Amino acid sequence: MNSFTMSQALVNTRSSLRLMPVRRAALEQFIAHGLPTSHEEDWKYTSLGHLEKTEWHTPEGAPIVSNVVLGTEEYPGEVMHFSNGHLNEASPQACYARSLAKQADSAPVVQHLDTLTRATALTQLNSALWQDGLFLHVSTKDTSADASAPLFAVYSAGEAGAMLHLRNLIVLEAGAEMLLVEHYRGTPDLAYWNNPVTEIVLGEGARLTHLKLTEDSAAATHTGLTVVQQARDSCYRALSVNLGGRLLRQDVEVNLMGDGAECRLDGLFIADARRHIDQHLHIEHAASHTTSRQAWRGIAAGRGRGIFDARVVVQPDAQHADAQQASANLLLSPHAEIDVKPQLEIYTNDVQCGHGAAVGQLDEAQIFYLRSRGISADVARALLLRGFADAALGLLKDTGLAEWLEPHLTAALPRLEQERAA
Amino acid sequence: MLHIENLHVSIDGKSILTGIDLDVKAGEVHAIMGPNGSGKSTLAQVLAGREGYVVTAGSVRYLGHDLLALEPEQRARAGVFLAFQYPLEIPGVANVQLLRAALNNLRRARGENELDAMDFLDTVKSKLALLGMDDSFLYRAVNEGFSGGEKKRNEILQMAVLEPRLAILDETDSGLDIDALKTVAHGVNALKHPERAVILVTHYQRLLNYIVPDHVHVLAGGRIVRSGDARLALELEDKGYGWLAPDVQGNVQGDVQGDVPMEAPREGRL
Ligand SMILES: Nc1ncnc2c1ncn2[C@@H]1O[C@H](COP(=O)(O)OP(=O)(O)OP(=O)(O)O)[C@@H](O)[C@H]1O
Ligand SMILES: [Mg+2]
Repeated sequence: MNSFTMSQALVNTRSSLRLMPVRRAALEQFIAHGLPTSHEEDWKYTSLGHLEKTEWHTPEGAPIVSNVVLGTEEYPGEVMHFSNGHLNEASPQACYARSLAKQADSAPVVQHLDTLTRATALTQLNSALWQDGLFLHVSTKDTSADASAPLFAVYSAGEAGAMLHLRNLIVLEAGAEMLLVEHYRGTPDLAYWNNPVTEIVLGEGARLTHLKLTEDSAAATHTGLTVVQQARDSCYRALSVNLGGRLLRQDVEVNLMGDGAECRLDGLFIADARRHIDQHLHIEHAASHTTSRQAWRGIAAGRGRGIFDARVVVQPDAQHADAQQASANLLLSPHAEIDVKPQLEIYTNDVQCGHGAAVGQLDEAQIFYLRSRGISADVARALLLRGFADAALGLLKDTGLAEWLEPHLTAALPRLEQERAA
Repeated sequence: MLHIENLHVSIDGKSILTGIDLDVKAGEVHAIMGPNGSGKSTLAQVLAGREGYVVTAGSVRYLGHDLLALEPEQRARAGVFLAFQYPLEIPGVANVQLLRAALNNLRRARGENELDAMDFLDTVKSKLALLGMDDSFLYRAVNEGFSGGEKKRNEILQMAVLEPRLAILDETDSGLDIDALKTVAHGVNALKHPERAVILVTHYQRLLNYIVPDHVHVLAGGRIVRSGDARLALELEDKGYGWLAPDVQGNVQGDVQGDVPMEAPREGRL
């Protein structure tokens, strides 16, 4: 990675001229500061050194990702399919969903794009180099957006050495509701770098349910940020299912700006083999009667490494805030590691907060109980693991997505048995 | 069917069973009674194959096999079933999932076809009805949030579905209300068969009014100190264990008798 190739990539971004100065400034900032290093507290456990050593390029034009290699996937809903960073295919019914590149000069994009993110190196790089992404704008009047029918944004990577700075903007106007699924996937064993940024703006009383499935290739790096801003009485419910990548760093920031706003962040990660999964959550309670819930579960096997760092800040104005954090983790091998760091920072008196975190192993007494019923030890372990994982997926209950997720999870779980034996 | 000879078992170097001899024939019902801490659950768990219990001497033959050489699941597939004194909670695994996996494993082991979903549900529902349990129990996580009595009933449900050759019930009657006790006894009696046998570990004569044992044994200090017929249980109810022999209490090595809470689980969970 060097500043010349980055500047070259900037020239290749062919979107609105309006954005050019913004992009240039962002790139200058990035070049001046470089990637985060492990000297920064937030990056203590995760090194991006390997990104420096690679010559990344941004893929040009709308390429075709071979479905033969990646396999076709049936999605039970409308689909926006991005291949190598560009919109490739969109369901006709998904007219409230557009290409961000094409809508870059529309009023809501001008109003909201790049207003939510803090200026970190990775977001600056994304701001400078993004080529496309999902622009989802739902107003209350919009009858085409059926809140119970999911919209799938699918991001496929199929080029070695590609860096994909997808940029998504989701705006739900007052009272709007939406069910959004993001699915990140890539050609098996291909080395690429996904660095998506998703900005989400929820108007008064708006409700978004957001499932993010990360299933990048075993050689891929994924550094992603989701940042949410919530107005009064809005509700953001998210489930992250992190199953892929060689290195996955996920940042989620939620700003509860309006009174009565609620968020629920659930997650499940599986760090097997040599996978490294680092998740940073940050919730700001900035208004009264705001509620946040975090329930995260992690499984690490082989030489896998998981990090769950969750910070909740209750600001002085956030009276009657209610914040709960919970994290349960399973280690399946002596070389696996999970670090859990829940943090509550409270600057007002009238709050209800609590957290709990546990890292443990499969319970031998439970395994024996199942075996005493004729179930083999391996099947018993698989059942317990599955049960442990399923407990993180409660959010899917009323979405109809459990069935869709099922094969993805099943494919991710059995690997653990081999890991344990290895 | 089951032949235990001179069985010695220790845990963490502490010897718990010190020479058990027991012979159970097909069609029989045996009751094992005895003071708290005398080793009744240890015996039951050793028969089911729990790890951590070291057999230092003796042998156990079951239907001609060396039972101690088998893995827990192999024992279950050979027809051994233990109803736990403290049934485990398994969050995230539905009762119906456990029953289905267990039953199909056993059927495969017996060379029978796996049941399809419909036949399986029919079978299970008839057993639920037999035990006066609501269908909703099937879809709850195994024992999670079950009351003490519901857990015991759930053990009997599993037993009824799996139809074992040798059922070992470890204090299944403790913590049951009077009606539940009758239901559970009914479930056990429904299983009785000339080819099957039952071992009941119990503290109370009450259960034995409904399931009449052929033999009653008193386990104390890790050994069977007295055997008799159903009348022995009545006599114990009347006179307590002290009556048997002064050394019975002595053998209990400082363990409290009487007012020990029955339901305090020992097993740790995540
Ligand atoms: N894992 C263990 N480690 C150490 N000691 C144990 C362990 N399990 C059992 N023991 C001891 O072995 C002895 C026998 O225990 P066991 O549970 O078999 O008694 P029991 O006859 O079933 O009693 P109860 O009537 O109270 O159920 C007790 O003294 C108990 O403390
Ligand atoms: Mg006991």
